[in-house]
Amino acid sequence: MDAVLDNLDVFVEGFTTTLSLTLLAAAGALILGTLLAAMRVSPVPPLRWFATLYVQAVRNTPLTVVFFLVVFGLPEVGVIVSFYRFAVVALTIYTAAFVAEAVRSGINSVASGQAEASRSIGMTFSQTLRLVVLPQAFANIVPPLASIFIALLKNTSIAYAFGVFEATQAMNRLINDNGSDVIAIIAAAALAYLLLALLAAALFSRLERAVRPA
Amino acid sequence: MAEPLVVLEGVNKHFGPLHVLKDIDLTVDRGEVVVVIGPSGSGKSTLCRTINRLESVDSGRITIDGKPLPEEGKELAQLRAQVGMVFQSFNLFAHKTVLQNVTLGPMKVLGKKKADAETRGRELLERVGIANQADKYPAQLSGGQQQRVAIARALAMDPKVMLFDEPTSALDPEMINEVLDVMTSLATGGMTMVVVTHEMGFARRAANRVVFMDEGSIVESSVPKQFFTSPSSDRAKDFLSKILTH
Amino acid sequence: MRTPRLASVAAAAAVLSLLLSACGGDSGSDVAKVDENAKEQFAPGSRMKELADAGKITVGTKFDQPLFGLKGLSGQPEGFDVEIAKLIAAKLGIDEKGITFVETVSANREPFLEQKKVDMVVATYTINDKRDMVVDFAGPYFSAGQDILVAKGNPKGVKGPEDLTGLKTCSVSGSTPASTIQTKYPQAELVLFDNYTKCRDALGNGQVDAVTTDNVILSGYVDQAPDKFELVGKPFTEEPYGIGIPEGQEAFCDFINKTLAEAQENGDYAKAFESTAGKVIKNTPKLPTPPRGCDK
Repeated sequence: MDAVLDNLDVFVEGFTTTLSLTLLAAAGALILGTLLAAMRVSPVPPLRWFATLYVQAVRNTPLTVVFFLVVFGLPEVGVIVSFYRFAVVALTIYTAAFVAEAVRSGINSVASGQAEASRSIGMTFSQTLRLVVLPQAFANIVPPLASIFIALLKNTSIAYAFGVFEATQAMNRLINDNGSDVIAIIAAAALAYLLLALLAAALFSRLERAVRPA
Repeated sequence: MAEPLVVLEGVNKHFGPLHVLKDIDLTVDRGEVVVVIGPSGSGKSTLCRTINRLESVDSGRITIDGKPLPEEGKELAQLRAQVGMVFQSFNLFAHKTVLQNVTLGPMKVLGKKKADAETRGRELLERVGIANQADKYPAQLSGGQQQRVAIARALAMDPKVMLFDEPTSALDPEMINEVLDVMTSLATGGMTMVVVTHEMGFARRAANRVVFMDEGSIVESSVPKQFFTSPSSDRAKDFLSKILTH
Repeated sequence: MRTPRLASVAAAAAVLSLLLSACGGDSGSDVAKVDENAKEQFAPGSRMKELADAGKITVGTKFDQPLFGLKGLSGQPEGFDVEIAKLIAAKLGIDEKGITFVETVSANREPFLEQKKVDMVVATYTINDKRDMVVDFAGPYFSAGQDILVAKGNPKGVKGPEDLTGLKTCSVSGSTPASTIQTKYPQAELVLFDNYTKCRDALGNGQVDAVTTDNVILSGYVDQAPDKFELVGKPFTEEPYGIGIPEGQEAFCDFINKTLAEAQENGDYAKAFESTAGKVIKNTPKLPTPPRGCDK
């Protein structure tokens, strides 16, 4: 236990990075995922094809492979940024595919008459989506989004293997320095992940109640 | 002098193997009220929906006020803003209040200021008789009230023509008249209208012309009095005998 | 590698090429000669007797460390650690078929030993006091030193660890070299991955300025791509590699030390080295003496 208490600052530093990775990638994935969902329901076939291909390809690729392609692939074409940013990019790319599916199914849950009515008063595709369909879809998007973002929180741990000092790497460092307290350190890290996930779940369930139609 | 506003020429449309519109030619003049009737499955709803391109056509030409319907995009959206549409199932925006339903289009499409849009919106709600419900949500209204809001929403765009796709078919009988009354007053006020309906009373009272469709074709097109007293085709006679007996 | 799914073919191909590029060494010749009479030599009830009777031993080693323990397409790990494990097994009368190699990474070596998931760990396992609190070490069987790998031509002019100030220095999360940099050279900007091949690739891409770990590992990378990397060549730590065994097996520990000493005597140690790490590291070392002793 001492190894945990003596090194709380290392844990805090690691989990701060875990949290910031999660929040940035969540924001990125929300934007990219919504765009992809919009493309999937758009009237322009090439956009639909692209978004479908993206979602299928990314969803069926292990996250570690996505990390590999981003961290070691992008430099091959001259893109070199910090490993932290690469991690945000990899997590965003990956999570966006799941967000896109959640948003798309939310869109499909809105009666088609809503979109027709919107188009018939002269609103464009993007106005229809933004002002009429998505606000109504939102209540149906929030529940799956909660599980996607909790998965994202846990997925940030992959970044430990790609040069980012986050919670799992903090845990690893402590394990190395304190070979006698391995189980206590792992248990502490697991508990911290669990607490963060429960916190996220609680926030989402409040949000869910707030957006549920009367 | 009649001035054509909506013109369909040689319009064909298929749903898979089903030929739902067969060589449709139809001209609606400015200020004219055309009622489209026919048995279900005759293609009359589809016809109505092709006019603002909610349904695309396979061949033929549709013009509104001299302009052919453009492909999906900004231009089409602008044109749709000039064509009001009222649906069988109302399709009010469920997440907006009655007033917001009526002001959304004017603000977002026509770029009106909120205050102006609301003033005009309240006027229109007054006109359709539901000014006191402005702040309610659609789900809190009866079907007849919802449909009247839908009419006000379409009118708020100051359309050149109004399309009605079976506007009373989803209503309880006691609410049908409140909607038909609004439509009749619109017709009397000179609005150009294309109305798909089963309400023969409305057709007699308000239509300038009745178009009878069957199996995807326009079978007959004449003034109401002539159509209802001496239809020229057998199919129209048969149809009328079925619906007028009860 | 399993058959990749439709959409991930491209991705998988890219990864495969990375993996392939990591596989340098070829099969090491077997120097270990199985002792047929092993069973009779050991006292009843001893750990050696148990293992010899079972005819099986489970060994934790690295699967990703060129020259020491690298599992390539052959499916069998190869390297100096593997040969040492075979020497010890042979002395117990256990042939190659009786050895099960399990991958141990830096973070799971102690738990594997404590839970007796493995009988011993030969995995570039540096002896240190904290580890010694929970496991026992036989050996050392090799003495490495932490060194620095840089891009060919040494563009940042790194001559030693003190020159790493402000440079992105890559190592493996949870390893002793990383710990050394953290505590002794905190002015270096440490970047950590889960294995050294990623560090090597990051150095190749210019994403980091230096890679630091034991010189033997780094030598392997220079060997694979002499036109891309060079070794600074001034080890600044002593990393005695020990053989980890569960606590309280002093007799087994002594047995291993004796086996190592014999191997040094009869030349098996040198042969084991020359057939693996010696392909890159030209000076064949002697077994470090004296052993640190098993009575702690």
